Amino acid sequence: MRIEKCYFCSTNVYPGHGSAFVRNDAKVFRFCTSKCHKNFKMKRNPRKVRWTKAFRKAAGKEMTIDSTIDFEKRRNVPVRYDRELIQTTIKAMKRVGEVKKRREHAFWKHRMAVAREKHRAHRNKVKEAAIKKSVTLVQPTTVESPAKIKEKIKVSTKSRSALVSGEGRSMDMELD
Amino acid sequence: MGRLRRSRAHHARRDVHRASRTRVRTKDLDQIQLIDLDPKNRANLEAQPIDFDTPGLAQHYCVECAKYYETDHALQSHWKSKVHKRRCKQLREPAYTIEEAERAAGLGRETKKV
Repeated sequence: MRIEKCYFCSTNVYPGHGSAFVRNDAKVFRFCTSKCHKNFKMKRNPRKVRWTKAFRKAAGKEMTIDSTIDFEKRRNVPVRYDRELIQTTIKAMKRVGEVKKRREHAFWKHRMAVAREKHRAHRNKVKEAAIKKSVTLVQPTTVESPAKIKEKIKVSTKSRSALVSGEGRSMDMELD
Repeated sequence: MGRLRRSRAHHARRDVHRASRTRVRTKDLDQIQLIDLDPKNRANLEAQPIDFDTPGLAQHYCVECAKYYETDHALQSHWKSKVHKRRCKQLREPAYTIEEAERAAGLGRETKKV
């Protein structure tokens, strides 16, 4: 049984799953899902599509040089079945998996630390720029204002309201 | 029984579907970069025998864009165009191949032991 790799996203393609496209120069392109097939038909470059494994490797988001990666290989010569060999291989696979997981975690931690440092530096830079740019506060100064003289407002009798009774212009009935 | 609907059955996706058919597939970037741009192949492609089925009798071919032009004038103006320049830029970086997809997945190739 051979587990193929998807041309676009590099995930495993198990027998009976996915689809394949054979180009007229006999190259076989295998796809895990119709999503990957469609993206291929659109002639997209997997190295520039962010969710693919190729992008993550090319952009330095995952380990590329490591001894744990070198174990999985396409072998075109079949190995004769040997009980002992299978046993040790399975044992080794588990061990390699453990080591790989630990190394990947360390790699991720280092990557995040660098990113955090970068982020912090950028934030400080922005803050400093903002401080430099801001205007210095001006102290309030006391200004002598001339004393206000209140003038009497004269209201003429004509402008008295007609709505208020007893002011001469109201419309209520005068009772004797 | 009434007339069956013939219009509004494709949601305006017709041309998109047609462009993605296998029979209208154009050459991939890795084919152009690894095979066609080789000087010997390039010379062959640029001096093709007269073919009555291809545009411009296959006399005006742009190797980078894998496209036939009707006249020499059209080909010359294409070389000055943005489309051609963009294509040239894409061809300058290494092409994506099946081997790279496998390497990204962590699947190596067994090298022959000497």
